[in-house]
Amino acid sequence: CVCLYVNLNGFLGLTLGTALVTPVEPHFTECMSRDLETFRCWWSPGTFHNLSSPEELRVFYLKRNSPSSEWKECPEYSHLNRECFFDANHTSIWIPYCLQLRGQNNITYFNEDDCFSVENIVRPDPPVSLNWTLLIVSPSGLSYDVMVSWEPPPSADVSTGWMRIEYEIQYRERNATTWEALETQPHTQQTIYGLQAGTEYEVHIRTKMKGFPKFGDFSDSIFVKVTEIPLRESAVLLTLVLTFGVAGILILIMLIVVSHQQRLMMILLPPVPAPKIKGIDSELLKKGKLEELDFILNGGGLGGLPTYISDYYQDEPWVEFIEVDEEDADCGEKEDQKSSDTQRLLGLPQRSVGCFSADSHPDDDSGRASCYDTDLSEQDTHLLAASLLPGQPEDEEAFLHPDEKAPASETNKSPLIQTESEGKPTWINTDLYAQVSNVMPSGGVVLSPGQQLRIQENTEKESQKKGTLGEDTSKLNKPQFQLLVVDPDGSGYTSEITARQISTPPSSLVPGEGYQTIYPQPMETKPAAPSEPNQSPYILPDSPQTRLFAPVADYTVVQELDTHQSLLLNLPTQQPPPPCLPQHPLKAPVAIGYVTPDLLGNLSS
Amino acid sequence: LKREIKKIISAVWVGIICLVFSSRLSTMKAASICPNDQTGCHLLPLANLFDRVIQHSARMHGISDDLHSEFELYFLPSKNQIGRVSRNCHTSTILTPNGKENAQRIAREELAEIILKLLVAWRDPLWHFHQSMSQHDEFTNFSSNKSLEMSDMVHELRKGVLKVVEKMQMLGIISNSVGDTGSPEALLTSDSAEWRFMKDYDLLYCFRRDSNKIQNYLKILKCRIVPKHGC
Repeated sequence: CVCLYVNLNGFLGLTLGTALVTPVEPHFTECMSRDLETFRCWWSPGTFHNLSSPEELRVFYLKRNSPSSEWKECPEYSHLNRECFFDANHTSIWIPYCLQLRGQNNITYFNEDDCFSVENIVRPDPPVSLNWTLLIVSPSGLSYDVMVSWEPPPSADVSTGWMRIEYEIQYRERNATTWEALETQPHTQQTIYGLQAGTEYEVHIRTKMKGFPKFGDFSDSIFVKVTEIPLRESAVLLTLVLTFGVAGILILIMLIVVSHQQRLMMILLPPVPAPKIKGIDSELLKKGKLEELDFILNGGGLGGLPTYISDYYQDEPWVEFIEVDEEDADCGEKEDQKSSDTQRLLGLPQRSVGCFSADSHPDDDSGRASCYDTDLSEQDTHLLAASLLPGQPEDEEAFLHPDEKAPASETNKSPLIQTESEGKPTWINTDLYAQVSNVMPSGGVVLSPGQQLRIQENTEKESQKKGTLGEDTSKLNKPQFQLLVVDPDGSGYTSEITARQISTPPSSLVPGEGYQTIYPQPMETKPAAPSEPNQSPYILPDSPQTRLFAPVADYTVVQELDTHQSLLLNLPTQQPPPPCLPQHPLKAPVAIGYVTPDLLGNLSS
Repeated sequence: LKREIKKIISAVWVGIICLVFSSRLSTMKAASICPNDQTGCHLLPLANLFDRVIQHSARMHGISDDLHSEFELYFLPSKNQIGRVSRNCHTSTILTPNGKENAQRIAREELAEIILKLLVAWRDPLWHFHQSMSQHDEFTNFSSNKSLEMSDMVHELRKGVLKVVEKMQMLGIISNSVGDTGSPEALLTSDSAEWRFMKDYDLLYCFRRDSNKIQNYLKILKCRIVPKHGC
């Protein structure tokens, strides 16, 4: 149970004391310990006048650590101060002490209140060696922070942990009356924030035991002052504006970069152009799927090619397509096409250069369908080639009249052969599709000449009529061929005879004009000389009846046989021939089989 | 190509961030364990344990001080907080060093044992004090909670001190003579429930004094054993 105890005695004494001047008995004013090892007590004699001499009062103390304890006298007097000092030998902590004053007549003045334990009366000494350092000044220069540091009181034994001390800082302005107190803390330094520049501050510190309420005395004051640092306001504003501006610009740049990421990537890291062929996926080439490649190249039909472009290269607009011209494939072979290449490079008006291969083997799979692979290994084919070659103008008559001049033809044949040997048989630059005129017994194929030839013949018509055959060496470069046209009105298909007539000469670049006769070996149809219309059933090239130099289609319809046992053909409609001109390098390549990159390069060059 | 570049950039960023964090972690680790010389390094965990226990005892003393002050406010105003101790505290039978020199002269094992004895002696009285406080309506909930907290703290502090003693015995600092004096049999024989006759106020006063003793003894013990770490 809890017992209530009211100290009425003291209460009454207090009220009485204010009303009357009552005699105050001797009593202890205070007992205090500084270091938890010793303590002192001060007494006052009171107002009893008969106890004025200080020596009359004696101090006795009692330690209540055992039931049989007794009162002992103060171990050390200091009558000057009316102080009783208990040294370490007489001091025990955690043990209640009771003190009493005794007068001369053994009158004891004892108050229950004067009992205590030493740990409860501890008031530590103030700290020593205070000093302060400036921590930081605000950017405006108006306020600053200060770090105050000190040493613990030397009397307090902090190092052994016997005493645990807390410090309390108080500060005030020089002329102020109230102190500002900071929170008590056990460290030997503390920061004071927010002091104003230009004013002087007074700082002092006091200590107390941790866990006990009594504070010690205040230390000596120190003075803190920081003079104002004149900072221009504009500088601060300027820095603020700069920082915000820079931050804003950075944010803008970030936004721009993020929004135009694609374009920036294009500008900063331009893609490396790589050759791409329209319609061909490089992956196919890598994987080696040639069949699919062929299929693509051939278009699966030509209409299929553009779709591939959109599929593969839609997101790369920088891709340029190398287009291989169909006719370029025809004009393939390198060494003989150099002139034509240079002409192409120089941009000179292209001539329909025949596409002849110097080494056209019978089994040559060059893949150029338009270049006709005829067998020339056989001598008969050679002869045929020779026969197909444009002969010398002087030999024209010889050609024209082989029958009469059989020996002459033989002699002519030799120059023929010579011419044939002089000039290498090369292939005419002709169309993609050609009509097979004849199949040689050796296995070769004789094809009808392309329309390009016929155009050429047409242009040479004038010069031929002027009889300037063989005059102009400059014309020799031009392949001038004269076809044997059986019947200008004839159209349709030519008979076998005429087919043999109208067979493409295998080579053309031999200087000379267009030939006039075609000599299939067993049967020869010779163009009839204009002077001898009766002699031969052949129609002369320059006969007025014949439009010899009109281009003849590959396929013509035979109208009728005329009286001369010649076939009358329909004239073909004037069609613009597909030029074998390498002026459009951007066409889709047509290749059968495998197209290597270097071939493509050659084609495109 | 663009995707690859993005992947590379993101991987580089991740790598940089990882490096920064790992370096920070490594520096943090290096700073926490054994920054100073190697001789006192193995005692650092012991010093930490001591610090924790001392903090605990300080808090316990603080609570007891608050409760005692409250009691004084309600019932007994006194000048020097001496109180009217009608009889001695029940722990007076335990011989404790009453001064600094005595506490420093006494053997470490003895000091540790005294601490443990004190803690054991207050286990039951505080529990009963809390019970009596909660039954009376005139005490606020705040005081009741404090008494409960005080009672719990005694338990925990005892466990903490036992751990410290174990660690010291492991390190070979003190001998193995310090046993667990908290066994119920020992408790019953020694005190014989003398505390039941004490009034609540006297209990508080006594406990306040004893918690201060415990705090001081622990601090002295720490500074005797591991003096370099914050004495």
